[in-house]
Amino acid sequence: MQRRLFLQGLAAAGALGSLPFGFAHALTQAASVSVESLPKLEGDLTLYLGRGEGGLYENVLDAIKKRNPKLNLQIRRGGSAALANTIVAETKAGVKRADLFWAVDTGSIGMVTDSGAAKPLPVELTAQLKPGFQYERWSPVTGRVRTLPYNTERVNPAQIPDNVMALADSDLKIGWAPAYSSFQSFVTAMRILEGEKATRSWLKGINRNAKKYAGELGVVMGVERGEVDIGFANHYYTLRLKSGKPDANVALAYTNNDAGCLVNASGIVALSEGDLPVNFIRYLLTHEVQSYLAREAYEIPLVNDVAQPQGLADLSTLSPPKLDLRKLADLRPTLNLMRDVGVL
Amino acid sequence: MTTTLKRMSALVLASTMTLALASGNALANGAIGDHVNNLQAHISEYTEEVHWLEEKFGSVVNAYEAKDKSLSTDVMIEYWEEVDFHSAIETQYVPIYASIWQGIYGVKTAIDNGKPVSDVRDEQRKLNHALWQALGAVKLASQYQKKGMLAKVQTTEVEPTTGPAVIDDIKTRLDRVVAKYAEQLHEVATTLVHDTYLQRFEGVEGDLIAKDAQLVEDLEKDFNVTLPQAIEKDAGVDSVRNVVEAMQAKLDKARTLLVEAEKGRKDVF
Repeated sequence: MQRRLFLQGLAAAGALGSLPFGFAHALTQAASVSVESLPKLEGDLTLYLGRGEGGLYENVLDAIKKRNPKLNLQIRRGGSAALANTIVAETKAGVKRADLFWAVDTGSIGMVTDSGAAKPLPVELTAQLKPGFQYERWSPVTGRVRTLPYNTERVNPAQIPDNVMALADSDLKIGWAPAYSSFQSFVTAMRILEGEKATRSWLKGINRNAKKYAGELGVVMGVERGEVDIGFANHYYTLRLKSGKPDANVALAYTNNDAGCLVNASGIVALSEGDLPVNFIRYLLTHEVQSYLAREAYEIPLVNDVAQPQGLADLSTLSPPKLDLRKLADLRPTLNLMRDVGVL
Repeated sequence: MTTTLKRMSALVLASTMTLALASGNALANGAIGDHVNNLQAHISEYTEEVHWLEEKFGSVVNAYEAKDKSLSTDVMIEYWEEVDFHSAIETQYVPIYASIWQGIYGVKTAIDNGKPVSDVRDEQRKLNHALWQALGAVKLASQYQKKGMLAKVQTTEVEPTTGPAVIDDIKTRLDRVVAKYAEQLHEVATTLVHDTYLQRFEGVEGDLIAKDAQLVEDLEKDFNVTLPQAIEKDAGVDSVRNVVEAMQAKLDKARTLLVEAEKGRKDVF
């Protein structure tokens, strides 16, 4: 499989516009920092926290609180999109209740940055992030990538096309979960990138040779059992399965510069001026927190010098598509298309 | 204490403790009064209401038996929604709350379908049994509440923050799915299943996959296929309850795995 190199340093600056929001903030690069070098957090902060990896984000917040006993951190929890709507409404009404917003998806972040509520971040902070993930008014925290899990006993990697559109014409038996939200976001990305006609044709082509599963873990397990040759799923299902069953007959393949290797990110926004919200964000970008989320949640660390989750290709070798991720919120035309084709 | 009572005791305590963490906006058809946080003072009122309901439901069946042409069974729902006891049992023990709705619709549907009076009386007996069982559960809860063993019923949403707490919340929400289905609110029940999966189960499934991937796959299928289909096919309250109880048994196993996972986790810093 061919893999195009992705954003190797400043030479790839022209590709920065391909990433969410398209506005690279800093092109300077800095190493990740240790929590030991950070200032203590003191004072009152209110964080709006979008639901994420169960208790793992809570563990991170508890650890920050434990390390900073003079920090009075109030947390409001909810769905990322709902909290983003709340922040936008509060901003319009001139009422500010949140100092920070940590969301699991970029679309929710975009709603807040578009509203004008987000405060600029210092260049030396965003410089810790990898090229292509540096933005003026928000900071990515961790990432996730669309992948093609394949059965290592049934498929030679050379058989797998590096173009997701070509899979519709292959003889491979495919597993998919059309009702699953991550899959629908992926089809939305395809619809935006390739157009409705091509997406319709792709859905019909895949449907001829596909087995449906309820969710994407089911897809990965179907691949592993050999019910299908290959599937569509976010990267972490395969990595988590492999962590519990190292000899599982499944490995990851990636497509090239299309919806099949879309990278989405969780992110955080400062909604108040001052050092305290910014310094809080520094804690999330520390080597320790990024390593923790990569190790425990199999999320992709987005600061420099932190190891990827075991089993995942290095981010610099992937080539995600040129797409404003905020557009993924436009789901209705996708659902209509999928229903029309008969896959939902 | 009999085995049944012991089980109810444990369930009432567990149900109420987790309810305090559950979504408040899914509760009750009307406002929840402060009485639910002072059950002991209202037991006699609840008892009167159960007697009143038994009499009112009985009068509906009597009117049916008397071939009263003006009879409308919708009045049964109005009676049930009128009493404070409604929110008392809804906030304390959702499984029996579901049984009451099942009983109301059992009588209502039998009458609406012109079933023999003996069949309607059978449904009426089940409904009365559920009402008295519910009163027993509320009395038991009042004892726990008096001893300070129950958290105050929340009327605003409080999110669970640990894996085991999420599992407890999912189980409570599934009880509410049965209740909403029994209440004939099938869309509401289906939406609750979907929201519970997206807002709760997806947050903990990652940790579970490494421990027992098959269990997670089974639960994914239950959330996305088995339970929504049972509701859509209108397979009856007992069928939906059976699916939910099977899921809750799997969730108990998941809870144990999450507790183990947390014990083995390294610190963040």
